[in-house]
Amino acid sequence: MTGIMAYRRPDGRIGIRNYVLVISMVSCSNTVTERIARATGTIPIVHEQGCCEFEHDHARTRLALISAGRNPNVGAVLLVGLGCEQTNIDSVRAAVAETGKPVEAILIQREGGSPEAERKGIGIVRRLKGVCESQERVPCRVADLVVGVQCGGSDWTTALSANPVIGAMTDLVVSNGGSVLMSEVAGFPGSEHIVASRAVTHDVGLRVLDMISELRAEYIETYGQKIEEVNPTPGNKAGGITTLVEKSMGNIKKMGTSPVQGVLKLGQTMPHPGLWVIDNRAQGPDPFNLTGLAMQGAVVTAFSSGRGSPVGNAVMPTLKLTGNPETFRKLGSITDFNAGVVIEGATIPQTGAALYDLLLEIAGGKETKSEINGNFEYIVPREAARKKHEGCPLS
Amino acid sequence: MKKAIRIEPEDNVAVVAQDTAAGETLECAGERLTAKDAVPLGHKIALSRIPRGERIVKYAVTIGLASCDIAPGAHVHSQNVEDITNRLCNEYERAFRAIKG
Repeated sequence: MTGIMAYRRPDGRIGIRNYVLVISMVSCSNTVTERIARATGTIPIVHEQGCCEFEHDHARTRLALISAGRNPNVGAVLLVGLGCEQTNIDSVRAAVAETGKPVEAILIQREGGSPEAERKGIGIVRRLKGVCESQERVPCRVADLVVGVQCGGSDWTTALSANPVIGAMTDLVVSNGGSVLMSEVAGFPGSEHIVASRAVTHDVGLRVLDMISELRAEYIETYGQKIEEVNPTPGNKAGGITTLVEKSMGNIKKMGTSPVQGVLKLGQTMPHPGLWVIDNRAQGPDPFNLTGLAMQGAVVTAFSSGRGSPVGNAVMPTLKLTGNPETFRKLGSITDFNAGVVIEGATIPQTGAALYDLLLEIAGGKETKSEINGNFEYIVPREAARKKHEGCPLS
Repeated sequence: MKKAIRIEPEDNVAVVAQDTAAGETLECAGERLTAKDAVPLGHKIALSRIPRGERIVKYAVTIGLASCDIAPGAHVHSQNVEDITNRLCNEYERAFRAIKG
Protein backbone atom coordinates (compact mmCIF):
# COMPACT_ATOMS: atom_id res chain seq x y z
CA MET A 1 0.00 0.00 0.00
CA THR A 2 1.50 3.37 -0.97
CA GLY A 3 -1.49 5.73 -0.69
CA ILE A 4 -3.17 7.37 2.30
CA MET A 5 -5.91 9.94 2.74
CA ALA A 6 -4.54 12.96 4.60
CA TYR A 7 -4.61 16.74 4.84
CA ARG A 8 -2.35 18.52 2.36
CA ARG A 9 -1.01 21.72 3.98
CA PRO A 10 -0.18 24.94 2.10
CA ASP A 11 3.55 24.34 2.83
CA GLY A 12 3.38 21.02 0.95
CA ARG A 13 3.63 18.74 3.98
CA ILE A 14 0.82 16.38 4.99
CA GLY A 15 -1.05 16.08 8.26
CA ILE A 16 -2.93 12.96 9.33
CA ARG A 17 -5.08 14.90 11.82
CA ASN A 18 -6.71 18.31 11.76
CA TYR A 19 -6.26 19.36 15.37
CA VAL A 20 -7.09 22.83 16.63
CA LEU A 21 -4.43 23.76 19.17
CA VAL A 22 -4.56 26.33 21.98
CA ILE A 23 -1.02 27.25 23.02
CA SER A 24 -0.07 29.11 26.18
CA MET A 25 2.82 31.57 25.82
CA VAL A 26 3.77 31.63 29.51
CA SER A 27 2.81 29.84 32.71
CA CYS A 28 0.64 32.88 33.63
CA SER A 29 -1.71 32.13 30.72
CA ASN A 30 -1.97 28.36 31.33
CA THR A 31 -5.33 28.43 33.12
CA VAL A 32 -7.10 30.52 30.47
CA THR A 33 -5.58 28.25 27.79
CA GLU A 34 -6.88 25.14 29.53
CA ARG A 35 -10.35 26.60 30.05
CA ILE A 36 -10.67 27.60 26.40
CA ALA A 37 -9.58 24.14 25.26
CA ARG A 38 -11.93 22.38 27.70
CA ALA A 39 -14.92 24.48 26.61
CA THR A 40 -14.26 23.78 22.93
CA GLY A 41 -13.01 20.18 22.98
CA THR A 42 -9.62 21.19 21.59
CA ILE A 43 -6.06 20.44 22.70
CA PRO A 44 -4.20 22.78 25.06
CA ILE A 45 -0.43 23.13 25.33
CA VAL A 46 0.60 24.51 28.70
CA HIS A 47 4.07 24.61 30.26
CA GLU A 48 6.01 26.11 33.13
CA GLN A 49 8.15 28.50 31.09
CA GLY A 50 7.99 31.58 28.89
CA CYS A 51 9.45 34.22 31.21
CA CYS A 52 12.69 35.05 33.06
CA GLU A 53 14.55 32.38 31.08
CA PHE A 54 18.20 32.49 30.08
CA GLU A 55 18.72 32.80 26.34
CA HIS A 56 19.53 29.12 25.77
CA ASP A 57 16.42 27.94 27.61
CA HIS A 58 14.12 30.51 26.09
CA ALA A 59 15.28 29.64 22.57
CA ARG A 60 14.21 26.07 23.30
CA THR A 61 10.82 27.15 24.70
CA ARG A 62 10.14 29.30 21.63
CA LEU A 63 11.22 26.54 19.28
CA ALA A 64 8.95 24.03 21.04
CA LEU A 65 5.89 26.32 20.93
CA ILE A 66 6.45 27.36 17.31
CA SER A 67 7.10 23.78 16.22
CA ALA A 68 3.87 22.61 17.86
CA GLY A 69 1.91 25.16 15.86
CA ARG A 70 3.78 24.29 12.66
CA ASN A 71 3.27 20.52 12.92
CA PRO A 72 1.22 19.44 9.87
CA ASN A 73 -1.34 17.65 12.11
CA VAL A 74 -2.43 21.06 13.34
CA GLY A 75 -5.07 22.79 11.20
CA ALA A 76 -5.41 26.02 13.17
CA VAL A 77 -3.91 27.65 16.26
CA LEU A 78 -4.92 30.06 18.99
CA LEU A 79 -2.05 31.56 21.00
CA VAL A 80 -2.88 32.77 24.50
CA GLY A 81 -0.49 35.08 26.36
CA LEU A 82 -0.51 37.41 29.35
CA GLY A 83 1.00 40.51 27.72
CA CYS A 84 4.27 41.22 29.53
CA GLU A 85 6.01 37.83 29.19
CA GLN A 86 9.36 37.06 27.60
CA THR A 87 7.75 34.99 24.80
CA ASN A 88 6.97 37.39 21.94
CA ILE A 89 3.51 36.34 20.83
CA ASP A 90 3.70 38.29 17.57
CA SER A 91 6.89 36.58 16.45
CA VAL A 92 5.54 33.15 17.44
CA ARG A 93 2.38 33.94 15.47
CA ALA A 94 4.39 35.00 12.42
CA ALA A 95 6.55 31.86 12.55
CA VAL A 96 3.50 29.57 12.72
CA ALA A 97 1.62 31.58 10.07
CA GLU A 98 4.48 30.96 7.59
CA THR A 99 3.01 27.49 7.11
CA GLY A 100 -0.17 29.09 5.74
CA LYS A 101 -2.56 27.90 8.46
CA PRO A 102 -4.83 30.26 10.43
CA VAL A 103 -3.22 31.54 13.66
CA GLU A 104 -4.94 33.89 16.11
CA ALA A 105 -3.52 35.48 19.26
CA ILE A 106 -5.02 36.97 22.42
CA LEU A 107 -3.44 38.56 25.49
CA ILE A 108 -5.12 38.50 28.90
CA GLN A 109 -3.97 42.04 29.80
CA ARG A 110 -5.24 43.44 26.51
CA GLU A 111 -8.63 41.66 26.71
CA GLY A 112 -9.31 43.09 30.17
CA GLY A 113 -8.88 39.94 32.27
CA SER A 114 -9.17 36.20 32.32
CA PRO A 115 -12.96 35.72 31.86
CA GLU A 116 -12.86 38.22 29.00
CA ALA A 117 -9.90 36.49 27.35
CA GLU A 118 -11.57 33.14 27.85
CA ARG A 119 -14.82 34.29 26.26
CA LYS A 120 -13.02 35.80 23.29
CA GLY A 121 -10.80 32.77 22.94
CA ILE A 122 -13.75 30.37 22.92
CA GLY A 123 -15.34 32.40 20.13
CA ILE A 124 -12.14 32.33 18.08
CA VAL A 125 -11.63 28.59 18.55
CA ARG A 126 -15.23 27.83 17.52
CA ARG A 127 -14.58 29.73 14.31
CA LEU A 128 -11.22 27.94 13.75
CA LYS A 129 -12.92 24.58 14.29
CA GLY A 130 -15.40 25.53 11.58
CA VAL A 131 -12.51 26.27 9.21
CA CYS A 132 -10.91 22.88 9.97
CA GLU A 133 -14.18 20.98 9.61
CA SER A 134 -14.57 22.35 6.09
CA GLN A 135 -11.21 20.83 5.04
CA GLU A 136 -11.12 17.34 3.58
CA ARG A 137 -8.62 14.54 3.35
CA VAL A 138 -7.13 14.12 -0.09
CA PRO A 139 -5.09 11.26 -1.59
CA CYS A 140 -1.48 11.50 -0.43
CA ARG A 141 1.55 9.25 -0.70
CA VAL A 142 3.49 7.31 1.93
CA ALA A 143 6.42 9.29 0.53
CA ASP A 144 4.91 12.37 2.24
CA LEU A 145 4.64 10.65 5.62
CA VAL A 146 7.03 11.51 8.50
CA VAL A 147 7.09 8.83 11.19
CA GLY A 148 8.90 8.86 14.54
CA VAL A 149 10.17 5.76 16.36
CA GLN A 150 10.75 5.46 20.08
CA CYS A 151 10.77 3.05 23.02
CA GLY A 152 10.26 3.46 26.75
CA GLY A 153 9.39 1.34 29.77
CA SER A 154 11.40 -1.49 28.24
CA ASP A 155 11.54 -5.10 29.37
CA TRP A 156 13.21 -8.27 28.10
CA THR A 157 10.95 -8.35 25.01
CA THR A 158 11.72 -4.82 23.75
CA ALA A 159 14.98 -5.69 22.00
CA LEU A 160 13.76 -9.14 21.05
CA SER A 161 10.39 -8.45 19.45
CA ALA A 162 9.00 -4.89 19.60
CA ASN A 163 12.01 -2.91 18.40
CA PRO A 164 12.97 -5.30 15.56
CA VAL A 165 9.29 -5.17 14.50
CA ILE A 166 9.47 -1.36 14.48
CA GLY A 167 12.69 -1.74 12.45
CA ALA A 168 10.85 -3.83 9.85
CA MET A 169 8.15 -1.12 9.72
CA THR A 170 10.85 1.56 9.34
CA ASP A 171 12.29 -0.28 6.34
CA LEU A 172 8.82 -0.47 4.75
CA VAL A 173 8.14 3.25 5.27
CA VAL A 174 11.55 4.13 3.82
CA SER A 175 11.33 1.71 0.89
CA ASN A 176 7.96 3.30 0.01
CA GLY A 177 9.66 6.70 -0.12
CA GLY A 178 8.63 7.97 3.33
CA SER A 179 10.60 9.35 6.26
CA VAL A 180 11.47 7.96 9.67
CA LEU A 181 12.95 9.99 12.53
CA MET A 182 15.05 8.26 15.18
CA SER A 183 16.25 10.14 18.22
CA GLU A 184 17.21 8.75 21.68
CA VAL A 185 20.84 9.45 20.80
CA ALA A 186 21.84 9.08 24.45
CA GLY A 187 21.25 5.37 23.80
CA PHE A 188 23.64 5.29 20.80
CA PRO A 189 27.04 4.91 22.53
CA GLY A 190 28.13 1.32 22.00
CA SER A 191 26.56 0.99 18.56
CA GLU A 192 27.56 4.27 16.93
CA HIS A 193 29.89 2.27 14.68
CA ILE A 194 26.88 0.34 13.36
CA VAL A 195 24.86 3.54 12.77
CA ALA A 196 27.84 5.24 11.09
CA SER A 197 28.38 2.22 8.84
CA ARG A 198 24.85 2.72 7.47
CA ALA A 199 25.36 6.39 6.63
CA VAL A 200 24.72 7.36 3.01
CA THR A 201 28.01 9.25 2.78
CA HIS A 202 31.32 9.31 4.64
CA ASP A 203 30.50 12.82 5.80
CA VAL A 204 27.20 11.70 7.36
CA GLY A 205 29.05 8.85 9.10
CA LEU A 206 31.46 11.40 10.55
CA ARG A 207 28.54 13.50 11.80
CA VAL A 208 27.19 10.46 13.68
CA LEU A 209 30.61 9.68 15.19
CA ASP A 210 31.22 13.36 16.08
CA MET A 211 27.85 13.58 17.83
CA ILE A 212 28.57 10.50 19.95
CA SER A 213 32.16 11.62 20.69
CA GLU A 214 30.73 14.91 21.97
CA LEU A 215 28.16 13.06 24.04
CA ARG A 216 30.81 10.77 25.57
CA ALA A 217 32.97 13.82 26.38
CA GLU A 218 29.95 15.55 27.96
CA TYR A 219 29.44 12.59 30.30
CA ILE A 220 33.08 12.57 31.37
CA GLU A 221 33.05 16.34 31.91
CA THR A 222 29.77 16.33 33.84
CA TYR A 223 30.02 13.11 35.84
CA GLY A 224 33.71 12.18 35.70
CA GLN A 225 32.83 8.70 34.43
CA LYS A 226 32.78 6.95 31.09
CA ILE A 227 29.43 5.70 29.89
CA GLU A 228 30.85 2.14 29.86
CA GLU A 229 31.56 2.41 33.59
CA VAL A 230 27.87 2.69 34.41
CA ASN A 231 26.41 0.71 31.51
CA PRO A 232 24.97 -1.87 31.23
CA THR A 233 23.40 -1.13 34.63
CA PRO A 234 23.06 -3.84 37.31
CA GLY A 235 19.36 -3.99 36.37
CA ASN A 236 20.26 -4.51 32.68
CA LYS A 237 22.65 -7.32 33.64
CA ALA A 238 20.06 -9.01 35.84
CA GLY A 239 17.74 -8.87 32.80
CA GLY A 240 20.33 -10.61 30.59
CA ILE A 241 22.16 -7.75 28.86
CA THR A 242 25.91 -8.46 28.96
CA THR A 243 27.61 -5.64 27.04
CA LEU A 244 26.99 -2.04 25.99
CA VAL A 245 26.97 -2.98 22.29
CA GLU A 246 24.17 -5.41 23.08
CA LYS A 247 22.23 -2.82 25.09
CA SER A 248 22.48 -0.07 22.47
CA MET A 249 21.68 -2.48 19.60
CA GLY A 250 18.28 -2.98 21.22
CA ASN A 251 17.72 0.77 20.85
CA ILE A 252 18.90 1.17 17.25
CA LYS A 253 16.93 -1.90 16.10
CA LYS A 254 14.07 0.57 15.56
CA MET A 255 16.03 2.01 12.63
CA GLY A 256 15.79 -1.25 10.71
CA THR A 257 18.56 -1.54 8.16
CA SER A 258 17.76 1.56 6.11
CA PRO A 259 20.52 3.99 5.12
CA VAL A 260 20.98 6.98 7.44
CA GLN A 261 20.50 10.23 5.50
CA GLY A 262 21.92 12.60 8.09
CA VAL A 263 21.86 14.08 11.56
CA LEU A 264 19.50 17.00 12.30
CA LYS A 265 19.46 19.33 15.28
CA LEU A 266 16.04 20.15 16.72
CA GLY A 267 14.49 22.81 14.50
CA GLN A 268 16.51 21.93 11.39
CA THR A 269 14.44 21.20 8.31
CA MET A 270 14.68 17.72 6.80
CA PRO A 271 16.13 18.28 3.30
CA HIS A 272 14.69 15.12 1.73
CA PRO A 273 12.85 11.93 2.80
CA GLY A 274 14.47 8.83 4.29
CA LEU A 275 15.76 7.73 7.69
CA TRP A 276 17.15 10.63 9.79
CA VAL A 277 18.82 10.84 13.18
CA ILE A 278 17.55 13.68 15.38
CA ASP A 279 20.22 15.00 17.74
CA ASN A 280 17.98 15.50 20.79
CA ARG A 281 20.09 14.80 23.87
CA ALA A 282 17.42 15.71 26.40
CA GLN A 283 17.57 13.16 29.20
CA GLY A 284 14.27 12.75 30.95
CA PRO A 285 10.89 11.08 30.83
CA ASP A 286 9.52 9.65 27.57
CA PRO A 287 7.58 12.80 26.53
CA PHE A 288 10.90 14.69 26.19
CA ASN A 289 11.89 12.59 23.22
CA LEU A 290 8.35 12.21 21.88
CA THR A 291 7.91 15.99 21.89
CA GLY A 292 11.26 16.32 20.08
CA LEU A 293 9.97 14.06 17.30
CA ALA A 294 6.75 16.12 17.05
CA MET A 295 8.88 19.29 16.91
CA GLN A 296 10.72 17.82 13.92
CA GLY A 297 7.45 17.37 12.04
CA ALA A 298 6.71 13.70 12.73
CA VAL A 299 2.94 13.21 12.29
CA VAL A 300 2.81 9.82 14.02
CA THR A 301 5.23 7.89 16.22
CA ALA A 302 5.50 4.14 16.77
CA PHE A 303 6.33 3.74 20.46
CA SER A 304 7.22 0.38 21.96
CA SER A 305 6.92 -0.42 25.63
CA GLY A 306 7.48 -3.82 27.18
CA ARG A 307 5.88 -2.77 30.42
CA GLY A 308 3.16 -0.59 28.84
CA SER A 309 2.77 3.19 28.69
CA PRO A 310 -0.20 5.54 28.24
CA VAL A 311 1.98 8.27 26.66
CA GLY A 312 0.75 10.40 23.77
CA ASN A 313 1.48 13.81 22.27
CA ALA A 314 -0.49 17.02 21.78
CA VAL A 315 0.15 17.22 18.05
CA MET A 316 0.92 13.63 17.07
CA PRO A 317 -0.97 10.32 17.45
CA THR A 318 1.23 7.75 19.18
CA LEU A 319 0.92 4.17 17.99
CA LYS A 320 1.86 2.08 20.99
CA LEU A 321 3.00 -1.48 20.73
CA THR A 322 4.38 -3.95 23.19
CA GLY A 323 6.64 -6.91 22.57
CA ASN A 324 5.27 -8.66 25.62
CA PRO A 325 2.08 -10.68 24.99
CA GLU A 326 1.25 -10.59 28.71
CA THR A 327 1.43 -6.76 28.75
CA PHE A 328 -0.86 -6.61 25.71
CA ARG A 329 -3.44 -8.78 27.49
CA LYS A 330 -3.24 -6.68 30.67
CA LEU A 331 -2.94 -3.21 29.11
CA GLY A 332 -4.97 -3.42 25.92
CA SER A 333 -6.72 -0.13 26.71
CA ILE A 334 -3.45 1.78 26.28
CA THR A 335 -1.78 -0.44 23.65
CA ASP A 336 -2.59 -0.47 19.93
CA PHE A 337 -0.53 -3.41 18.65
CA ASN A 338 0.75 -6.72 19.97
CA ALA A 339 4.29 -7.42 18.75
CA GLY A 340 4.40 -10.15 21.38
CA VAL A 341 3.24 -12.58 18.70
CA VAL A 342 6.95 -12.77 17.82
CA ILE A 343 7.60 -14.35 21.23
CA GLU A 344 4.84 -16.83 20.42
CA GLY A 345 6.25 -17.78 17.02
CA ALA A 346 5.38 -15.11 14.41
CA THR A 347 8.24 -13.76 12.30
CA ILE A 348 9.61 -10.24 12.59
CA PRO A 349 9.06 -9.37 8.87
CA GLN A 350 5.41 -10.49 8.89
CA THR A 351 4.71 -8.70 12.20
CA GLY A 352 6.49 -5.57 10.94
CA ALA A 353 4.28 -5.62 7.83
CA ALA A 354 1.17 -5.83 10.05
CA LEU A 355 2.46 -2.87 12.09
CA TYR A 356 3.03 -0.92 8.87
CA ASP A 357 -0.58 -1.64 7.81
CA LEU A 358 -1.85 -0.34 11.16
CA LEU A 359 0.37 2.74 10.80
CA LEU A 360 -1.26 3.55 7.46
CA GLU A 361 -4.74 2.96 8.91
CA ILE A 362 -3.91 5.43 11.70
CA ALA A 363 -2.56 7.85 9.10
CA GLY A 364 -5.92 7.54 7.34
CA GLY A 365 -7.83 8.53 10.48
CA LYS A 366 -8.13 5.50 12.78
CA GLU A 367 -7.78 6.80 16.34
CA THR A 368 -4.92 5.61 18.54
CA LYS A 369 -5.42 4.63 22.17
CA SER A 370 -3.42 7.71 23.13
CA GLU A 371 -6.03 9.91 21.42
CA ILE A 372 -9.01 7.94 22.74
CA ASN A 373 -7.63 8.26 26.28
CA GLY A 374 -6.84 11.97 25.89
CA ASN A 375 -3.07 11.64 26.24
CA PHE A 376 -2.04 14.93 24.67
CA GLU A 377 1.24 15.61 26.46
CA TYR A 378 3.75 18.15 25.25
CA ILE A 379 6.87 18.63 27.33
CA VAL A 380 9.65 20.95 26.17
CA PRO A 381 12.77 18.76 25.85
CA ARG A 382 15.44 20.49 27.93
CA GLU A 383 19.04 19.80 27.06
CA ALA A 384 22.01 20.79 29.20
CA ALA A 385 23.29 24.24 28.17
CA ARG A 386 26.25 23.81 25.87
CA LYS A 387 29.19 26.16 26.07
CA LYS A 388 28.92 27.00 22.42
CA HIS A 389 25.47 28.43 21.79
CA GLU A 390 24.13 26.67 18.74
CA GLY A 391 21.28 29.06 18.00
CA CYS A 392 17.74 28.17 17.18
CA PRO A 393 17.10 27.57 13.48
CA LEU A 394 13.41 28.54 13.57
CA SER A 395 13.61 31.63 15.76
CA MET B 1 7.98 -27.02 24.61
CA LYS B 2 10.09 -24.24 26.09
CA LYS B 3 11.61 -21.82 23.58
CA ALA B 4 14.62 -19.74 22.74
CA ILE B 5 14.49 -17.03 20.09
CA ARG B 6 17.31 -16.49 17.62
CA ILE B 7 16.97 -12.95 16.29
CA GLU B 8 19.08 -13.20 13.10
CA PRO B 9 20.13 -16.35 11.24
CA GLU B 10 23.84 -15.55 11.73
CA ASP B 11 23.54 -15.24 15.53
CA ASN B 12 25.37 -17.83 17.65
CA VAL B 13 23.26 -17.07 20.71
CA ALA B 14 19.49 -17.01 21.27
CA VAL B 15 17.32 -15.49 24.01
CA VAL B 16 15.30 -17.82 26.19
CA ALA B 17 11.60 -16.98 26.40
CA GLN B 18 11.11 -18.38 29.91
CA ASP B 19 13.16 -19.40 32.93
CA THR B 20 14.98 -22.57 31.91
CA ALA B 21 16.58 -25.23 34.11
CA ALA B 22 19.75 -27.17 33.22
CA GLY B 23 18.89 -30.26 31.23
CA GLU B 24 15.64 -28.90 29.78
CA THR B 25 15.07 -29.13 26.04
CA LEU B 26 14.26 -25.96 24.09
CA GLU B 27 12.95 -25.35 20.60
CA CYS B 28 14.93 -22.72 18.70
CA ALA B 29 14.65 -21.79 15.00
CA GLY B 30 13.13 -25.20 14.21
CA GLU B 31 15.80 -27.15 16.07
CA ARG B 32 16.17 -28.67 19.50
CA LEU B 33 18.68 -27.53 22.04
CA THR B 34 19.41 -28.81 25.54
CA ALA B 35 20.22 -26.22 28.20
CA LYS B 36 23.54 -27.03 29.82
CA ASP B 37 23.04 -24.43 32.58
CA ALA B 38 20.06 -22.74 34.16
CA VAL B 39 19.22 -19.75 31.94
CA PRO B 40 16.87 -17.06 33.30
CA LEU B 41 14.13 -15.46 31.17
CA GLY B 42 15.58 -12.96 28.69
CA HIS B 43 19.16 -14.26 29.03
CA LYS B 44 21.29 -15.73 26.24
CA ILE B 45 22.00 -19.37 25.46
CA ALA B 46 24.80 -20.60 23.16
CA LEU B 47 23.50 -22.24 19.97
CA SER B 48 26.82 -23.83 19.06
CA ARG B 49 30.27 -24.29 20.55
CA ILE B 50 31.96 -20.89 20.78
CA PRO B 51 35.74 -21.21 21.30
CA ARG B 52 37.60 -18.77 23.57
CA GLY B 53 38.33 -15.53 21.69
CA GLU B 54 35.49 -16.06 19.18
CA ARG B 55 32.83 -13.43 18.61
CA ILE B 56 29.46 -13.56 20.36
CA VAL B 57 26.98 -12.62 17.61
CA LYS B 58 23.50 -11.28 18.40
CA TYR B 59 21.41 -9.02 16.14
CA ALA B 60 23.92 -10.11 13.45
CA VAL B 61 26.62 -7.97 15.10
CA THR B 62 29.49 -8.72 17.46
CA ILE B 63 28.41 -7.93 21.01
CA GLY B 64 31.51 -9.32 22.75
CA LEU B 65 34.13 -12.09 22.77
CA ALA B 66 34.02 -15.50 24.42
CA SER B 67 36.35 -15.26 27.44
CA CYS B 68 36.51 -19.07 27.66
CA ASP B 69 35.30 -22.02 25.58
CA ILE B 70 31.50 -21.95 25.60
CA ALA B 71 29.57 -25.21 25.09
CA PRO B 72 26.30 -25.43 23.15
CA GLY B 73 23.39 -24.83 25.54
CA ALA B 74 25.51 -22.84 28.02
CA HIS B 75 24.31 -19.63 29.65
CA VAL B 76 26.13 -16.77 27.89
CA HIS B 77 26.68 -13.75 30.14
CA SER B 78 29.34 -11.77 32.04
CA GLN B 79 31.02 -14.96 33.36
CA ASN B 80 32.05 -16.07 29.85
CA VAL B 81 31.86 -12.89 27.72
CA GLU B 82 34.39 -10.10 27.44
CA ASP B 83 32.84 -6.67 26.81
CA ILE B 84 34.84 -5.15 23.94
CA THR B 85 32.50 -2.24 23.24
CA ASN B 86 35.28 0.33 23.59
CA ARG B 87 37.60 -1.54 21.25
CA LEU B 88 34.86 -2.05 18.63
CA CYS B 89 33.83 1.61 18.69
CA ASN B 90 37.37 3.02 18.82
CA GLU B 91 38.80 0.74 16.13
CA TYR B 92 35.89 1.50 13.83
CA GLU B 93 36.11 5.21 14.50
CA ARG B 94 39.88 5.33 13.88
CA ALA B 95 39.55 3.41 10.62
CA PHE B 96 36.53 5.46 9.52
CA ARG B 97 38.22 8.79 10.19
CA ALA B 98 41.30 7.61 8.29
CA ILE B 99 39.23 7.20 5.11
CA LYS B 100 39.22 10.26 2.89
CA GLY B 101 35.59 11.36 2.30
